[in-house]
Amino acid sequence: MTKADKILICLIMIASIVCLIPLFLSNSQKECVVVQVKNKEVLRLDLNENGTWTVDGTLGNVVIEIKDGKVRVTQENSPQHLCSKQGYVSNANVPIVCLPNETVVQIESDTSEDTVVQ
Amino acid sequence: MKKTVYLSFLVAVGIVFQILESFLSVVWIIPGFKIGFANVVGIFSLYVWGPKEMCIVTLLRIFLASLMQGTLFSVSFWLSLSGGIFSMAIMTLAYKTKKFSIYGVSIAGACFHNIGQVIAVCIIYQQFFMQLFLPFLLALSNVSGICIGYLSLQIIKRVKGRIQNVNLSI
Repeated sequence: MTKADKILICLIMIASIVCLIPLFLSNSQKECVVVQVKNKEVLRLDLNENGTWTVDGTLGNVVIEIKDGKVRVTQENSPQHLCSKQGYVSNANVPIVCLPNETVVQIESDTSEDTVVQ
Repeated sequence: MKKTVYLSFLVAVGIVFQILESFLSVVWIIPGFKIGFANVVGIFSLYVWGPKEMCIVTLLRIFLASLMQGTLFSVSFWLSLSGGIFSMAIMTLAYKTKKFSIYGVSIAGACFHNIGQVIAVCIIYQQFFMQLFLPFLLALSNVSGICIGYLSLQIIKRVKGRIQNVNLSI
């Protein structure tokens, strides 16, 4: 082995360790909540940020609350109040749909289990 | 014997290595990891003849092995093709600089084979989760590169003198 070989091995090891660092930094998965009204994205929120937001649905305001990585609809104007009865949702595969207001609240995550291909 | 005959023998050996290795996969350690025994053939032809012959042998090996496995133009074919092209390019560069020994050339090849495959996965699946494996793949490519370099060195030492016009500069 020449000196260049050893430098190469060290460089590759350093590169692999450097590649590892962003993995640990972005451990809290970046998930966001997408709110769509009439198929148009009106709001994109960070799931790790607590708070309440209001969007304009067809029948009035829809109030969305994010708390501890979960999202729910608290207030809306519809005949059966199905979406507010649904409660908190934290799964990316389960959207909150409020059909009378034509509003869809869905979590989007980078690594949802649906998308891992082996 | 003519060079063409040697090259076709090498292609045949490479195909056998590649198909055998797909049976003895060590994928359970980390997805996508292989030792890459088929690269012995490429390194051998690189050191015995030169970069052009390595390209011929490696490309034919990838093409014919996937033809025989029935995976021609499928995802795994494109993965090994892109990995092969990347590793051939970097091995040619490393060989031309004359600073690296056979170990360095083989490690660089193994490393860029992984990088090429990860790039191909990202392009084909439009997903970027494979980057998560890249650090582990790079670290393991050191190990597999040293193994393959050692193997090729032993083979070249034993073949030395039997093939004409061999310039061994290890």
